[in-house]
Amino acid sequence: MSELATLACREQFATPEQQRETATIGMWAFLATEIMMFGGLFTAYTVYRMSHPQGFEAGSADMNILLGSINTAILLTSSLMLAFAEHSAQAGNQRLLSFFLIATIVIGLVFLGIKFTEYYQHFQEHKAPGLWFEDSSPHASSIQMFFVFYFIMTGLHAVHMTVGLGILLVLLFRTFLGTFTAHYHTPIMFGGLYWHFVDIVWIFLYAIFYLPGLHK
Amino acid sequence: MNEPTMSLKKYLLAWLGLLGLTLLTTLIAFVNLGVWSTVIQIGIATIMASIVAGFLMHALYEEKIIRIILAGGVIWFLIMITLTLADYASRGWLAFSHR
Repeated sequence: MSELATLACREQFATPEQQRETATIGMWAFLATEIMMFGGLFTAYTVYRMSHPQGFEAGSADMNILLGSINTAILLTSSLMLAFAEHSAQAGNQRLLSFFLIATIVIGLVFLGIKFTEYYQHFQEHKAPGLWFEDSSPHASSIQMFFVFYFIMTGLHAVHMTVGLGILLVLLFRTFLGTFTAHYHTPIMFGGLYWHFVDIVWIFLYAIFYLPGLHK
Repeated sequence: MNEPTMSLKKYLLAWLGLLGLTLLTTLIAFVNLGVWSTVIQIGIATIMASIVAGFLMHALYEEKIIRIILAGGVIWFLIMITLTLADYASRGWLAFSHR
């Protein structure tokens, strides 16, 4: 058997379909554990927001909604690019596949760039929790707590984005090597699953960090 | 079952729907609806997440076992948050002199 045929169906599987199904179940089980990890943080956020409602609204009012909403659109667009990449992989079009992978990586980098611009602004405005935190409002300590959640949760999201970018780079490299064909492209699909999942996390982060203080 | 394939049109429609919902939830957030603001924001976010999971991640087109695993993760999260809030939200309901 050639090397590519081996990749498409390793010896412990009866058929390529069985291999794909097994791998897909494993990938989704991993994503379920990711729901658990972020779920713990979302639960903690909910508990604190219920006990410090004014402080959390005031903290959210300090968010840059323009950058936040643009970033949401950017991330959703990167997911679309990756969906196109998956589509190209299924069609066996390696040229389009590498084009859309590069597009996803570039758009993902733009997202991280904007995210770090926001972080920089928060530090400039002394909103980063810790020694440099400054706020004269009566809810200062709740606002600081809001920013603790903000930095930890968006930070963990940014770590996931960085890992995702690393995965995409490996996939791009393997695309250049000609690994992926119309018959074997499961890693592309799983890179997609991971990236889209990180997208879902951001959708909720946007709703709980950027929106609550908008009406102020 | 063979790998699910999606048309480019479906991907584009899902993306447009997601952008539209992002705009909608952002605009609604400028109005103060009290507690309903949060309900609407989380509701729209859940719809958006379902679109991503169902179409971009093909959960709607995969085998049933995939949706069971996904539901497992989501339901465990809902159990965790429900039981946690059942404690925190109900504190102070009973007239004890100290907590």
